[in-house]
Amino acid sequence: MPSTVPSTREELDLDQSLDTTTDSPWVVIVWNDPINLMSYVTLVLRKVFGYSLEKATQLMLDVHHKGRAVVSSGPRERAELDVYRLHEHGLWATMQKDGNDK
Amino acid sequence: MRRRASGPFQLQADGSFRVNLPPDVRELLVHLFGELRDVLTQGNTSDPALRRLFPVAYHDDAERDAEYQDLMRSELVASRLTAISRVTEAIGGGDRLEPGDMDLLLQSLNAVRLLLGTMLNVSEADETESGTDDPDDPVAAQAHLYSYLGWLLEAAVGAAIAAVPDGGNPPKLR
Repeated sequence: MPSTVPSTREELDLDQSLDTTTDSPWVVIVWNDPINLMSYVTLVLRKVFGYSLEKATQLMLDVHHKGRAVVSSGPRERAELDVYRLHEHGLWATMQKDGNDK
Repeated sequence: MRRRASGPFQLQADGSFRVNLPPDVRELLVHLFGELRDVLTQGNTSDPALRRLFPVAYHDDAERDAEYQDLMRSELVASRLTAISRVTEAIGGGDRLEPGDMDLLLQSLNAVRLLLGTMLNVSEADETESGTDDPDDPVAAQAHLYSYLGWLLEAAVGAAIAAVPDGGNPPKLR
């Protein structure tokens, strides 16, 4: 059972952990899938994010040709909302900390 | 993802859409939306067959994803059910779609297509529809339906794009 009074070392570790969480922006990724239509994906990216036709089309083509594209980034709560809205529209979207390239 | 040509929803001057679908197609859509509603209300949303309707959010963190799904899955189900209810009423009962209803129609048509495409195990390499032309072959019938829904969705996307001013952005959904 952990002590209720953390040691100095544990407090330092906790602080580092918090810093990592708050400083790293999150990225939202849309993955390629064989079902969603290209025109539909482009329209959803325009509607959800307000992107121009050119930007949404480029992101859609990145998804199609490279397998995935980062479509937005920001704090964790914002990324979760973006993922939710993309899921509402049937896009295959996930999120991860920026730099956690898996 | 595939390219398709367009067809039967017409943008009107007031921003709404006129629906030009024959009665049998309306019946088919109302039936499919009803099946989607049944799957959402009676099925298990963790069923692999529904994986495209309820994707993971954190693909590299199972613990965070479980927390996310606990909070958001019921909201996603409720959102889909609201969309189904609205478009079933609009498609089944009239010739007019409000601008907001078009977004819900797009979501619902796409959701049915995701379910069907998952059942058919559609892959990126499928440039032509699978199955045979035998009308008694259930897989061929599903493949034709999947193809038709793709055409219809493309038509709806075309109509929704026509509502966007030249060079402008469509309004954000929320």
